[in-house]
Amino acid sequence: MPRPLTLLLPALIPSWNFFDVIAPSPRVQYGLTATAETEPKAWLEFRPRPERVSLLQMAQRLLWNPERNESLFLTSCAERLVQQPTRHSEDEIFKRIAADLAADPDTAEGPPWLWFRLVFISRDGDGLSQEVLFEALPRRRSDIAIR
Amino acid sequence: MTLDAASRLTEILLALALIQQSLEHMTRFRAEQVLFSVRIGLCVLVILGFGSPWPLVGLAGLSLVILERFQGPYNGGSDRMGLLALWCLTLSQLMPIPVGKELFLAYLGAQLMLSYFISGWVKILNPDWRSGRALAEVFRFSAYPVSEALRGWANRPRVLLVMSWAVMGFELAFPLTLLSPISLLAGLAVAATFHLANACLFGLNRFFWSWFAVYPAIIWLQGRIF
Repeated sequence: MPRPLTLLLPALIPSWNFFDVIAPSPRVQYGLTATAETEPKAWLEFRPRPERVSLLQMAQRLLWNPERNESLFLTSCAERLVQQPTRHSEDEIFKRIAADLAADPDTAEGPPWLWFRLVFISRDGDGLSQEVLFEALPRRRSDIAIR
Repeated sequence: MTLDAASRLTEILLALALIQQSLEHMTRFRAEQVLFSVRIGLCVLVILGFGSPWPLVGLAGLSLVILERFQGPYNGGSDRMGLLALWCLTLSQLMPIPVGKELFLAYLGAQLMLSYFISGWVKILNPDWRSGRALAEVFRFSAYPVSEALRGWANRPRVLLVMSWAVMGFELAFPLTLLSPISLLAGLAVAATFHLANACLFGLNRFFWSWFAVYPAIIWLQGRIF
């Protein structure tokens, strides 16, 4: 069966098992280095949540929520990368981190090598545990198409 | 509500939902802008009722290109409902006989009912949902809460226990709302409030519009069956 029809089938015959189990949750972390040989000293969370979101912002996001929906897409890519790794998911994450860095004047001219890794958070007894389940090979920022 | 009215209202609401989603892609990458500009154009034709059913056929074809582009739905469940609605409407309109048209709209309405019932069923089978622990974990560490402040809700076990049972109870009881037009409207009002809460707390705005678009189909189905 052609690939798009395979992707369409779960929509036409849906399972509707939303939140049946609360699976480990991914966070995308990135780092920048001067060379491809040395790992980042500090990993930063990509798009950390704001401390608070006002009721007005929540109402506005009903109609305009592109950043949040993109973050949810990246969560899907992260889950795919540990379940069935594909070049596509890795490309999408690199592309969107690189685009954000390029758009920010503080990071637009930073170190040339971009790294990312996926940290999964899960329940561990009464606490939480974190585990790095995927780390991408670094890419040169100038090689990532961001337009 | 007649079949034609339900079909037309569903396609207009769906087209508006797809325009809202498409606009969110217009600020990013050029390839996405092209793809979603075409989708906005087709949605406008659907709303105007121009050239029916071909704009819907175009949207269905384009949905395959978008699925390929993102290697699946861009936003999981909400996009799946949008795809289901789009393909059911398209196939319904392409059917040469009335019973065929009815069949696809009825399938869409039935899937809306199942989307609530099955979600409730899989939750109630899970002891973590019955104890409120699953919802606490959604707030504590899942990717969904829109702010760090909301994570504090994980420390309110009694509130979350009540919320868990309220969600499961509503979802499992939803099929009963089909017994009368009034109970269905009440059920849909509760459902819309539920999606609104999910949009506010978890940023799932697309669910609200995608599910809302399908409400005319289930209202028609209720009248057709009872």
